[in-house]
Amino acid sequence: MLKFIQFLLLLLPLGLLAQAPDAPPGMGRATISGYVKDAADGEGIIGVSVYVKERGTGTVTNAYGFYSLTLPSGAYTLVFSFINYEKVTRRIELSTTDVKLDLELREEVRQLQEVVVKSRREDDNVRSVEMSVNRVDMKTIRAMPALLGEVDLVKSIQLLPGVSTVGEGASGFNVRGGDISQNLVLLDEAPVYNSSHLFGFFSVFNPDAVKDVKLIKGGIPANYGGRISSILDVRMKEGNSKKAELNAGVGAIFSRLAYERPLFKGKGSFIVAARRSYIDVLAKPFLKGDLKGSKFYFYDLTAKANYRIDDKNTVFVSGYFGRDVFGSEEFGFDWGNGTVSGRWNHVFNNKLFLNLTSYYSNYKYGLGTKQSDPNAKDKFEWESKIVSWSVKPDFTYFLTPENQISFGGQYINYDSQPGSATARSNGESRNISLESRYGDESALYISNEQKIGSGLTLQYGLRYSMYRALGPGQIYAYETIIPGARRAPDFPGTTYKSGAVIQQYGNWEPRFSANVGVSPSASVKVSYNRTTQYLHLLSNTAASSPLDVWTLSSKSIKPQIADQVALGWFQNFQDNAYEFSIETYYKDLQNQLDYVRNSDLLLNPFVEGDLLTGKGRAYGAEFYLKKNKGRLTGWISYTLARTERLVDGVNNSGWFPTRFDKTHNLSTVALYDLGNKWSVSANFAFSSGTPATYPTNRFEWNGWALPNNYYDARNNNRIPAYHRLDFSATKRVNHGPFSKRGSAEWVFSVYNAYNRRNPFSVFVRQNETDSRVTEAVRYAIFGSIVPAVTYNFRF
Amino acid sequence: MKKIVFLLPILALTLVACEDVIDLDTETGPAQLVVDGWITNQTGPQTIRLTQTAGYFDNAPAKPVLGATVVVTDEAGTKYEFKDLKSNGQYAWTPFSPTNPLGHEGGEYTLSVKTSGEDYRATTHLYPVPRIDSLTYFFEKPPFVTDGDPKDGYQAEFFARDLPGEGNCYWIKVFKNGKYYAKTNDIVLAYDAAFNPGSSSDGLLFILPIRRSITPELWQERDTVRIELHAIPKEAFFFLQQVRLESSNQGLFATPPSNIISNVVNQNSGGRKALGFFGGSLISGFQTVIDPKKARPKP
Repeated sequence: MLKFIQFLLLLLPLGLLAQAPDAPPGMGRATISGYVKDAADGEGIIGVSVYVKERGTGTVTNAYGFYSLTLPSGAYTLVFSFINYEKVTRRIELSTTDVKLDLELREEVRQLQEVVVKSRREDDNVRSVEMSVNRVDMKTIRAMPALLGEVDLVKSIQLLPGVSTVGEGASGFNVRGGDISQNLVLLDEAPVYNSSHLFGFFSVFNPDAVKDVKLIKGGIPANYGGRISSILDVRMKEGNSKKAELNAGVGAIFSRLAYERPLFKGKGSFIVAARRSYIDVLAKPFLKGDLKGSKFYFYDLTAKANYRIDDKNTVFVSGYFGRDVFGSEEFGFDWGNGTVSGRWNHVFNNKLFLNLTSYYSNYKYGLGTKQSDPNAKDKFEWESKIVSWSVKPDFTYFLTPENQISFGGQYINYDSQPGSATARSNGESRNISLESRYGDESALYISNEQKIGSGLTLQYGLRYSMYRALGPGQIYAYETIIPGARRAPDFPGTTYKSGAVIQQYGNWEPRFSANVGVSPSASVKVSYNRTTQYLHLLSNTAASSPLDVWTLSSKSIKPQIADQVALGWFQNFQDNAYEFSIETYYKDLQNQLDYVRNSDLLLNPFVEGDLLTGKGRAYGAEFYLKKNKGRLTGWISYTLARTERLVDGVNNSGWFPTRFDKTHNLSTVALYDLGNKWSVSANFAFSSGTPATYPTNRFEWNGWALPNNYYDARNNNRIPAYHRLDFSATKRVNHGPFSKRGSAEWVFSVYNAYNRRNPFSVFVRQNETDSRVTEAVRYAIFGSIVPAVTYNFRF
Repeated sequence: MKKIVFLLPILALTLVACEDVIDLDTETGPAQLVVDGWITNQTGPQTIRLTQTAGYFDNAPAKPVLGATVVVTDEAGTKYEFKDLKSNGQYAWTPFSPTNPLGHEGGEYTLSVKTSGEDYRATTHLYPVPRIDSLTYFFEKPPFVTDGDPKDGYQAEFFARDLPGEGNCYWIKVFKNGKYYAKTNDIVLAYDAAFNPGSSSDGLLFILPIRRSITPELWQERDTVRIELHAIPKEAFFFLQQVRLESSNQGLFATPPSNIISNVVNQNSGGRKALGFFGGSLISGFQTVIDPKKARPKP
């Protein structure tokens, strides 16, 4: 391990080594480090600002609440601050011995009568080198109006600048012109392959178990890799290490239960949270005859435990398991993710911090007829899955207060089973399984965050990623004869033995960000990053379906590569009560997937022949104004953007906008605290209509009027604009049902308040009664107002 | 498999999506030749219809293409000239005797359409078709029915086996009391014995969902059920698959609309393209009258 660290250190830019130490020789230096936790439940707090008053510099706590500062000996005033928490000031005397300082921050009691504006370092968005990053705290997400009252992390981030969706009910989210598969969705560092329940209506993250959400859209640090558009880093709660706590809720869709408590006398804690839809339970008495065996439910189970072995070692174990189940006695369909991750935080010394993560993640679906009857004469069973496991050491080396080095690596192993099926007709069985595909991805990275003077912060790093497609496998080449048309495999292909390297790709991924302070409350930031992706979601539908298959890079599927530059202005007003930013970005995408006409992506042994590749570009400007303090909080976000693809053989080989391109995208979120009992909130969203392909002509064949676009264009029109207003009101009560000893709240919400039938799509079809008559149809997911009541309680 | 994917939106039981017919302004492209031709081994006249494309929402009858020279040549070089006797774009060829049909098993047929100085060609094949062995039915009372559909009736199932050899394609047509179920969502296709290529179903009895696909609505007592099994070329399978898809490409899981691929090719590669399809099939049929006494017990 030491060799490896030395090797990485060698990669550091020389400029760093040439830097003069800022303490005169002979004078001692010492390091102060520790963990910052929440006083209420013992959770580590991410991103707490640690400010050294005398020197005008500081640092922030990492994802585990750990910080470290090295300073010349002397007396210092340290200020620990974090939004909505009370500031803590500590005086310390540093000689030559290192100091360990753990502390707890207390949540601020909101003064409702008068808004107290304190002088605190809440200007992280201006000071930090991070750009194109949005954090939404769970409290805000909970307070926002939600569809059917179900608090939804993914739906909430869709209201942030640069984030959009193809439409209501669609799975996932699009970041800065990328498709949904280009987001790395991490739950405690394990990737989640499908983040939706019920196709896309609800996300898989249980709000009771989530602590912190961070979306990185650009300036992606070198420790992240594997997807080209964004990182959604979801951190689970560690569980209350002070006292046992039970949270529960009954909503329109889910009923929820979460239990957390300390372990080992407060040296550890755990949380277990479960949710299940319950409509099937209510419907059961009414289901008779053929419907008796009906199944329709979805659930998820999230759990985490941590144990602090000693000052230097903490271990965490987290897991998620979720499933959607639909079907009857005749037919069944289920899908879901499972992840397990284990982490070990180790403090080698005051300067070197290690987080070692290991995870296992899978996504699996199965469907079939007569699944429970092994002797059925006619049946069909189909399963598909992707399994990955990984080991990932991440080191943070707090070299000086001015230099914080991160380095590490990752190894990921993939096993993908695109489809394995058996069909039985009249007692005769056939196996329709596709070959499994194997591969591994490894990466090494190093980066440094360097402060130069008081006005300039740089973050520069380099990541090298490598992917190997591994045998066994029968691999075919596909030759393009007509651009845009299905390609036939060259038989007989090549046979690879188990473990043989079929294809190897390697990519250098430079990452760079800079923050130039313009004034104490304003800065300019600029960033560039290259990202690569070796895993591809084959999805040719408007919204991704649970059946879509994750496919590994191969001889004919090249890795996706993105280069992004971003430039932004960040400013805070009125003592950080308001945050404001403007960011512009340009992104260049290579090896983007598209599909031939009438493509067959499921159980197709020659699916690679149905894939097309092209390039993409995306650019835009994002405006963001956020109010952090006072009774009224919230934000306004506006994005002006374009995202396009160029694929040989599609749209006459000309650029076309993607299905999720939205020129204008405006979101406003307002939360208002009315007093002791009530708080209210509202969302308003407006976006341009998404592109659509309309026919120019009709032709008759066999009595059917069929569509044709003379120009063979793709996405040449747009559907009408989308806009929606939602409200919610929360009433806190001291005593309610099941909560004699605790507290409770009622949440009333209204989604789509002015009852607009927002189009998801506009499509054409033949008239129901006369196939020679054509018509256009507006398809709306929600045709009405959607009201809901949720009851939450805790004790 | 595609069929199962279509079920996905239906599964979302609790969700009420809504559809409204709206007015839409679309650009209209220049007119193109449309070939609607299908030959068989049946004894009657064979017809090839030539029309022009129109604006998508132009719901007037399609304009016929008149004065074209339409000739089908078989693999032996025999030419069959199709004539537009009524000047309505319906070009017909009538056999000299009822025992002398145009199509025969294993034949290859090339269509040539000469019009407006362009020569359009398309080729099709007539492949052997398996026999339908039997047709059974059982009484069914579904828990839910769409408004206007019968509340109960008979669910029918036919039995036939895919011919040996990978890649045989079929089109199954259903007739009720002589009336063809003609909507695009009534199109039932089989690739070997299952829905799609890659399903390794060569030589099997047609799989259950295909066997049971012949009940667009529940059959009633005394209905005459007629099933036609057409052996079609692969290109026709893909054409019809796309016809079905593009006729109602909707919802969350709609694919990007794309033009339906034609097998009619303008010999002048720079000339205007044609739409439509020239295909052919050999047909086997089965007919029965629903008789409650002969109904099987529900499996």
